Amino acid sequence: MRTIDIHAHISPEGMVSAISEGRDWHGISSAEMLPIHEYTPRTMWTPEQRLKEMDEFGVDVHVLSTNSFFYFYERDAGAITAMARECNDYVSQLTKDHPDRFAGFATLPMQDVSASVAELERGMQTLGLKGAMIGDHVNGVTFDDPSFLPLWKAAEASGAVIFIHQGGDTVVSPRSDNYHLPNTIGNLADRAVTFASFVFGGVMDACPGLKVCLSHGGGYTCFGAGRMDRGWQVRSEARVNIQHPPSRYLDRFWYDCLTHSEDALRMLIDSVGIDRVVFGTDWPFDMAIDEPVSWVRNMTKLTDAEKDAILGGNIETLLGLS
Amino acid sequence: MRSIDIHAHLMPHCMLETLYRGESWHGVTGRRNADGQLIYGLGELTQPLTPAFGWNTEQRLADMNSLGVDVHVVSTFVGYYTFPSTDDAVAACREANEEVAGMMREHPDRFSGFCTLPMQDINAAVAELERGVRDLGLKGAMIGDHVNGVTYDDPSFMPLWKAAESLGAAIFIHQVGDTVVTPRSDRYHLPNSIGNLADRAITFASFVFGGVMDACPDLKVVLAHGGGYTCFGIGRMDRGWQVRREARVNIQQPPSAYLNKFYYDCLTHSEAALRYLIDTVGVDRIVFGTDWPADMAIDWPVSWVLRQESLTTEEKEAILWKNSERLLNL
Repeated sequence: MRTIDIHAHISPEGMVSAISEGRDWHGISSAEMLPIHEYTPRTMWTPEQRLKEMDEFGVDVHVLSTNSFFYFYERDAGAITAMARECNDYVSQLTKDHPDRFAGFATLPMQDVSASVAELERGMQTLGLKGAMIGDHVNGVTFDDPSFLPLWKAAEASGAVIFIHQGGDTVVSPRSDNYHLPNTIGNLADRAVTFASFVFGGVMDACPGLKVCLSHGGGYTCFGAGRMDRGWQVRSEARVNIQHPPSRYLDRFWYDCLTHSEDALRMLIDSVGIDRVVFGTDWPFDMAIDEPVSWVRNMTKLTDAEKDAILGGNIETLLGLS
Repeated sequence: MRSIDIHAHLMPHCMLETLYRGESWHGVTGRRNADGQLIYGLGELTQPLTPAFGWNTEQRLADMNSLGVDVHVVSTFVGYYTFPSTDDAVAACREANEEVAGMMREHPDRFSGFCTLPMQDINAAVAELERGVRDLGLKGAMIGDHVNGVTYDDPSFMPLWKAAESLGAAIFIHQVGDTVVTPRSDRYHLPNSIGNLADRAITFASFVFGGVMDACPDLKVVLAHGGGYTCFGIGRMDRGWQVRREARVNIQQPPSAYLNKFYYDCLTHSEAALRYLIDTVGVDRIVFGTDWPADMAIDWPVSWVLRQESLTTEEKEAILWKNSERLLNL
């Protein structure tokens, strides 16, 4: 069986060249782009260097997503649409150069929903991508906002997977930016808010075929579903759009396995169902899983069949890889 | 089998009676709406009084009897430190704490209590904690997750932790007002149903990564709402500690090493989550807490614990009363 990593980032070659030449890239200065790439040199690796490390880790396929650094939802829509097109063309070319090693997600100019719909359709129909990675919100607007519905409908119609991954500040940042908490707590809190926005906002009812995959194991979603259910039970504002408690929707989403805890992964599986959990590592960042295939293989609380499902089988089904 | 509820609120009657007379209580004002319901608050920040929050002591005892709860560890509103006037906050806390002490004197077998503190003035907070524990017989204090945006790793709070440690007072953490989720989404009750749990994880992290638990090895901190997302999310905090030096500034061990230094109430609204909490922090660290009389409380909380199939009888007894009795010296 193949091991397929759904949570693997990349920086486009055009941007790496711009940094090395000190040039702006789609209105983004090299001074802005440099720190994250210097901190994580692997973001500037060539595809061949990436493939070598994938071989070392025993990872057969990366589902490539452009780094969340490139969301830039707050910037000029035209410039970022052009940037997204270059990112997506680059990822698409890699999937064509190495069809057995790479699949890909689009990045979208989410500040312009119409442009996002167009780019998602181009990504799916022309570029052979499998969906898109987007943030937990767009300039503070969460995904229950009706303005986003055309994108969910387009994703549903094309079978595109919407992969949710934070970008920039999280809800924790204003409270504390110490000790890496905006990432270590904030990513997980943001993901729970996004699950809730899709569910309580009625999006999952309006789009029964929509495929949403929540990175970082869906964050705190599965553990905290009991309190969301209680809120739905006692507060009329939580029942405006949905007739069922939010826990009923847990098995409508997919989740990557990036929990940094075997116990948390076991609880995730038990809460959402083994068929909903996919392999995702956050390569190449410092918060990734070290030696990720062994991490899953060495677990004592998962069966071999569960490990196979997570490492490859479920993603093949979700993305239609075969 | 006894039961001691560590998470049971009180809207001070001294405040309600003052508001019902149409007078201001240390800056808090109230008015009755067309239905006769009390709308109370500070300035523009008002909320309606739900019926059970207006019950008197006899009505509270009757409900406790109905629920099978033997003891309430009573805590009053924690938001006094948002008062614009420190003098008002100090006076409000003193009056509220004396009322709780009075309930304990009248019904020593049914009530224990936590102080509320004027946290915007750390010296006044230390003085009121000392008065509350030494003179009034209270068992500690309930405070928010932060004080006007400042988290508890801030060195200015250290005198309070040292005072609590030397008094043996428990510090019970409970959100007040907006949570970190509020600015992102104030819909569907998410600021409470997600936000309370996120706030509590940040507070755990502030105490741990900030070095407070190392500086005060005997400090007893109780995290309401089961500690929120703390136990489930500890793996990612450990990873952050491992790879980021800013997470290691104050501590030599990963944050998971501190899980069993805290106490947690059982208010998870999920048997699977409670089981996970027990398995992560140890059953000796979990106490019965219900959030009475809020709408987000556990319905029939004693039977909720008793009917859980994944807990042993010993675990249920530890949670329902034994751990609280030991923690609070009841």
